[in-house]
Amino acid sequence: MIDCMKRADPSRSLRIVVVTSGDAQAGDAALAAQACRSTALRVGLLESGYDIVASLPPDIFLPERIAQLQPDLIIVDSESDARDVLEHIVIATREARRPIVLFTEDDSAATMEAAVAAGVSAYIVAGLRAERVRPVLDVALARFRREQKLLGELADTRQKLAERKVIDRAKGVLMTRHRLSEDEAYGRLRSLAMNKNMRLAEIAQRILDVEDLLGDGPTKGSA
Amino acid sequence: MTSLAGAYSSGSDRPEKAVLRIGFMPLADCAPLVMASVLGFDEKYGVKLVLEKQHSWSAMRDRLTSGELDAAHALYGLLYGLQMGIGSTARDMAVLMNLNQNGQAIVLSRTIAAAGVKDGAGLRALMREQPRRYTFGHTFPTGNHAMWLCYWLAAAGIDPAGQTRLVTVPPGQMAANLEAGHMDGFCAGEPWSRRAVMEASGVLAATSGQVWPHHPGKALGARADFVARHPNTCRALVAALLETARWLDASPTNREAAAEVLASPAFVHADIELMRACLVARLGDQPGLRFFGEGAATFPWLSDGMWFLTQQRRWGLLREDPDYLGVARAVNQVALYREAALLAGVDLPESAMRSSRLMDGRVWDGSDPAAYAASFAIHQRDPQPVVA
Repeated sequence: MIDCMKRADPSRSLRIVVVTSGDAQAGDAALAAQACRSTALRVGLLESGYDIVASLPPDIFLPERIAQLQPDLIIVDSESDARDVLEHIVIATREARRPIVLFTEDDSAATMEAAVAAGVSAYIVAGLRAERVRPVLDVALARFRREQKLLGELADTRQKLAERKVIDRAKGVLMTRHRLSEDEAYGRLRSLAMNKNMRLAEIAQRILDVEDLLGDGPTKGSA
Repeated sequence: MTSLAGAYSSGSDRPEKAVLRIGFMPLADCAPLVMASVLGFDEKYGVKLVLEKQHSWSAMRDRLTSGELDAAHALYGLLYGLQMGIGSTARDMAVLMNLNQNGQAIVLSRTIAAAGVKDGAGLRALMREQPRRYTFGHTFPTGNHAMWLCYWLAAAGIDPAGQTRLVTVPPGQMAANLEAGHMDGFCAGEPWSRRAVMEASGVLAATSGQVWPHHPGKALGARADFVARHPNTCRALVAALLETARWLDASPTNREAAAEVLASPAFVHADIELMRACLVARLGDQPGLRFFGEGAATFPWLSDGMWFLTQQRRWGLLREDPDYLGVARAVNQVALYREAALLAGVDLPESAMRSSRLMDGRVWDGSDPAAYAASFAIHQRDPQPVVA
């Protein structure tokens, strides 16, 4: 392009479309994680100065919107169920002038593996060589990995905290119901968990669920 | 573990790899894999299945080819598409066995049904009377549902390539798109097809068992080089799944037990009554989901593999006739299956070909595949370049 848009780094004029994740339903951890990854990636790309022409939801209109926008690069979470929709575009356009090629088919195996490991897979629109795309993704991915690591640590801490609470409440239930000491209640929980081959927090949640159903209420606590 | 554990895998037949990572999609027909693990049939043969839920066929394919997964519950047509390099780099793949027959369905929107359409002929008449763009969903371009949908439309005289718009839609979004009027119909597997009918999002037009009674379904897929390097492992895996398939077809009680397991969030994550309906009750009057069929439902028939190639040729996904029989012989691991069947005490057919009569009365028995692929009046053998 020989216009005022010309920049030092040609890879920056790439037209990027990010396929977002569906609405994270309450309780669906996989979708929630996808949404987090997708947001982190978009932030990473934007802050690195790349042009995201659109963020598209993974719905039935995705193929049409992609056809209208003619992006150079489509970024989608490798766990997204929209990947099969993109696969359809790959196959439908394979004979056209601008076929879409699966990025992961490139010989840059290391980059590909890193991208996949990071939960991202990319599809390159034809004519565009992998060498041009790599710096884009490298930057985005470096940023993305940092974000993901932070997000992961945050989520981990949150989960541990939540589990702690559930276990404490279940211990309380056992202590009142069976007149156990705190240690005895914990021991009971642990042996239950081992016998059922479940995690401590899971067995604790079950006890609370049963208590909600059968109990007379007061043990419900501050949920 | 019982004292029987590993009893079938001693000495030189010992599996080269004891722990197997197996991909599955949350569909009713993943039952053999899940139940083999839950019932411990895997350990009886000296292998341990580690099941990994997948969210798309594309991701499953990537993991299978990268070696992250050892084997997977895969669309039969997808494995052949991968073998032929349709839309991706060609990879030598293996079909170890067929995992199920039937159990998929074509569902039409209530709007279409309200116009009096009950079947393909009715749809064709409506499309003539009220011309517009009709949209139908399936699950993967080279996959089984795309093939059932196209076969069904074409059998009614509708050209799927020229007269409809076909879209790939994640199965969980099918019903919502149908209700919102974004689609006129779709083809998908249980529990999605069943749920759309039970919740009245759509109306059943045909079961896949109606398109082709006892058609091939999901296959147990692996990379060919994995099979070559792990023959004992693969034999043990197939034997374990044969036992599981026999168990699944042995009684409605077993099916109900399987339904309860499958309904769990770890597997299909669906309503238990819905899963029970999928596994026990028949949809329509044609044969329903079948796993064993005395070894007929599990056998990797060469004619089944070739059929997908003929349809991929018919719809222009393949530009030229492949060596149909040669490809099927390379992909479908008939010899290994025979060994596993002997191990599990499962009947074997004399021939690796079978004869089937499809909904339009056409017979497919594996003979002269190139002529068969060229014999359909409605086809897209030489497609024009399409723009996305």
